[in-house]
Amino acid sequence: MRLRFTRRWAAAAATAVLLALTFASTAGAEYYIYWWQRNMAPNAQGSHQITAHNKIYNELYFGPNAGWRSEVWEVTPAGYRHFDKWCVGNCFNAHPGYYYTYSYCSNRDGGTHFVYNCKDQW
Amino acid sequence: MTKRRLQFGTAVLAAVVTAGLLTQLGLGGSDKVQIGNGSVSALAHAARTSDALPQSVLDYPFAERNFASRSGGGSRLLQQQGSLKLYAVPGKGGMICLVEVDSAAGTAGGACADRDVLRTGSIYMADRQEDGSRLVVGLVGDGHTYAEADGRQTPVQNNAFVLNDVEGSDLTVGSASASQQVDIGG
Repeated sequence: MRLRFTRRWAAAAATAVLLALTFASTAGAEYYIYWWQRNMAPNAQGSHQITAHNKIYNELYFGPNAGWRSEVWEVTPAGYRHFDKWCVGNCFNAHPGYYYTYSYCSNRDGGTHFVYNCKDQW
Repeated sequence: MTKRRLQFGTAVLAAVVTAGLLTQLGLGGSDKVQIGNGSVSALAHAARTSDALPQSVLDYPFAERNFASRSGGGSRLLQQQGSLKLYAVPGKGGMICLVEVDSAAGTAGGACADRDVLRTGSIYMADRQEDGSRLVVGLVGDGHTYAEADGRQTPVQNNAFVLNDVEGSDLTVGSASASQQVDIGG
């Protein structure tokens, strides 16, 4: 009887630990602004290169009424490009965290435009 | 003699100004061709349950900054191809947004731009695939009937189109009487 009781508690404790580990990564997810509020020349690149992370979100925000071409993408430390998205205007790309990457964004219009932020999440 | 030179100079100046005005008014380049008035009639369709954006999309900071309503109010499901769904969403100010959700891939993306973009082109997203080609999805204004890339044409349905395996850096959107070249970069 005591043995059965102990097993139940052990199973419950294991389940609790598993659940905690499952949700720990999402609970700790944060957004990081890595480049913001600057005039961005054509093809200039905003990037976050402190350390590579398992990125799950990348965004470029020109501001309201944007209509210019933009690009967000990610690059692994080995130089492989992933999750490369070209857009018209403000742009976001959300995806599974398959790769450890650095994030980039760029104004792909022919003129300089104000960019409020480039943002990523891991 | 001086009077004649003055007249000649005035005539040349008038010709230059006229040519400049005509160019600015859209008579001088294919990138200025206009189709429709930028309206998207799909947004006026009666709402259905399937038009609602997934909560995961509404939770992104992009939604708060760009959508007219934080809840994505007014969104319409434009197309579904397999696990890929395309939505149009009213944006803040004069913007309109295109949102793509691929439930199988676990991905989502969005682009919001001024509605005026739809007069002369498309609000699009071009995603690079593993083989180097690109999947291009686009929102176009009323009046557009097709999109074409690499010599392959696809019909516009509900103001939207999907082009798979695009290798080139541009595409064409158009109607029976006019077409517009869209540079998708890359």
